[in-house]
Amino acid sequence: MKIIKFTFALLLCATISSCSSDDDTENLTGKLGNIIIKFDNGVDDQDFIFGTSYNTSSGESYKLETLKYLISNIRIKDNNGDTFMYPSEKNVFIIDEADGNNAGEIWVTLNDIAAANYTEITFGIGIDQDRYALGADGQGDFLAKAEEEGMMWSWATGFRFTRLDGTYSSDTVTDEALNIHMGSVGTAVDNYREVTLSLPNMAIVREDKTPELHVKADIAKLFDGTTSVSFDEGYSQVHVDETTTGVIANNAMDMFMVHHVHND
Amino acid sequence: MKDFQNIKKIGVLLIILVLLPYITQARNIDPPFNEHEYFSFDCDLCSCSTSSGSFGFGTLGNANFIGLRYIYQKFESKKGIFENSPISKETFNTYQLWAQIPISNALYINVSLPYQDLSRKIDNSNEQINGIGDSNLIGWYKLRLYKKQKDSAMVNMGRAASGHALQFGVGIKLPTGKFEESLADNVNPGFQIGTGSVDGIFSLGYNYGSNKLGINTVMTYYVKGENKNDYQFGNQFSYSANFYTAFPREKVNIMPFVGLSGDIYNKITQYGETLNDTDGSITNATLGTEFAFSKCILGINYTLPVNQDLFGGNVESKNRFSLYINYAL
Repeated sequence: MKIIKFTFALLLCATISSCSSDDDTENLTGKLGNIIIKFDNGVDDQDFIFGTSYNTSSGESYKLETLKYLISNIRIKDNNGDTFMYPSEKNVFIIDEADGNNAGEIWVTLNDIAAANYTEITFGIGIDQDRYALGADGQGDFLAKAEEEGMMWSWATGFRFTRLDGTYSSDTVTDEALNIHMGSVGTAVDNYREVTLSLPNMAIVREDKTPELHVKADIAKLFDGTTSVSFDEGYSQVHVDETTTGVIANNAMDMFMVHHVHND
Repeated sequence: MKDFQNIKKIGVLLIILVLLPYITQARNIDPPFNEHEYFSFDCDLCSCSTSSGSFGFGTLGNANFIGLRYIYQKFESKKGIFENSPISKETFNTYQLWAQIPISNALYINVSLPYQDLSRKIDNSNEQINGIGDSNLIGWYKLRLYKKQKDSAMVNMGRAASGHALQFGVGIKLPTGKFEESLADNVNPGFQIGTGSVDGIFSLGYNYGSNKLGINTVMTYYVKGENKNDYQFGNQFSYSANFYTAFPREKVNIMPFVGLSGDIYNKITQYGETLNDTDGSITNATLGTEFAFSKCILGINYTLPVNQDLFGGNVESKNRFSLYINYAL
């Protein structure tokens, strides 16, 4: 029986010693860390691949060779309800599928984030009117970058929030041009939208802990979101039209979810 | 469907293997093989959370031994969040020093120390980790059950063994293997040399051995501790049931067995929150045999999953193969 007692004692010690105190008394004031957001484009449950044909619910199919969108005004809320806004001048990003790593993920790294346990993320799709009102000079380096990436019409018209280029096929046509260039139209049409996503697990930001938010973006939702659209019926060329851009903008709000958070 | 066919194939093989010696030579087993005090148990609560205590059905062999065991396991895991995300093909090689050491008539201990050599291939890149894995120490108390004494005539003969026995085990798993947090994202969380945690092991076994048949069942519950990365593998329940028989030959005792085993895993916890898609279960069928040459026991077995849902279906156990050579103490 001695050995059993001994083993029990050993086990008890181990159990007790492994119970660490998880008191949240850690002082995080003034401490900063980083967050990585991984955008991962897919179509339904498939990873998005250029040149692959995908079907829509209206019986049409499409293939893309360009897939880009703008993300801005990223802010995160912690478990105390405090919101951290990433500095405005740096808070605009082009998510380009062509920039994806070998896993097809486009990484956005946010530096100098207040150390906290975050539970929610909000970001905008496109450029809001306030940012646009800063004028061409107020855009900083981003203007040149957006022009280079083909994410601008002209300054007067503004930014393209999405850029999907490719072809589509339907009952009536085969490999017709498909261009979904949705954006606000100057100050006349405001297609900027925001989404708030809850995190399945807290993102724990510390000086030495960089969490990764794996954001799944379902491209299929652009055509089969709140509104299902047909390329044949006016949605193969979406540019500055008030109606069609608005429908795509609203659909874009359904694209995103945080699939998981990986904590360090 | 393919799996089902495999199972069918294995089923046929099983039957053949079990029946073959009967067909070739029908004879009574003499001496009854429970004289060897069969059944040791070892749980391979290995580094990898997916490798299970259930296949710890170690040896049919002598109660006490020291030996070496080699385990080969294959897994396929999805790297990514999509259906068509790339597959990581994982091969786990475990070389284990294991022993069952008697303390007294009713008490014994199991110890095991593995060396892990793990590799995975994603697309065309290879990754390899290796090193000493997590070690186990389990203390066992064996309760033999005796036949009821009916007549006064029996009194002087002492109690007759019924062949039934219960075992109670309490043990500890030590983090002698290294846990690397950087490996914990996305792909198989079990791709680790060690869990980095101190775990408790609680086990209840029952076995029976008669002239012709032996049965060994064991249920084990693992209470997993938290490691320094605030990462805690989910508690685990493992079970196994094995049926064996014996065919003594002049120089060797052949003992084929079939078994069913399984594991049920709770979710992994990190920073006090459970992580989605980190729980699961698996049921395995095992076919194997042992060859006992006086003091030496050679064992071989093959295990195939019958049913599984690990980590939200993102990890798939393919098969495993185990080979061991033990020296009876």
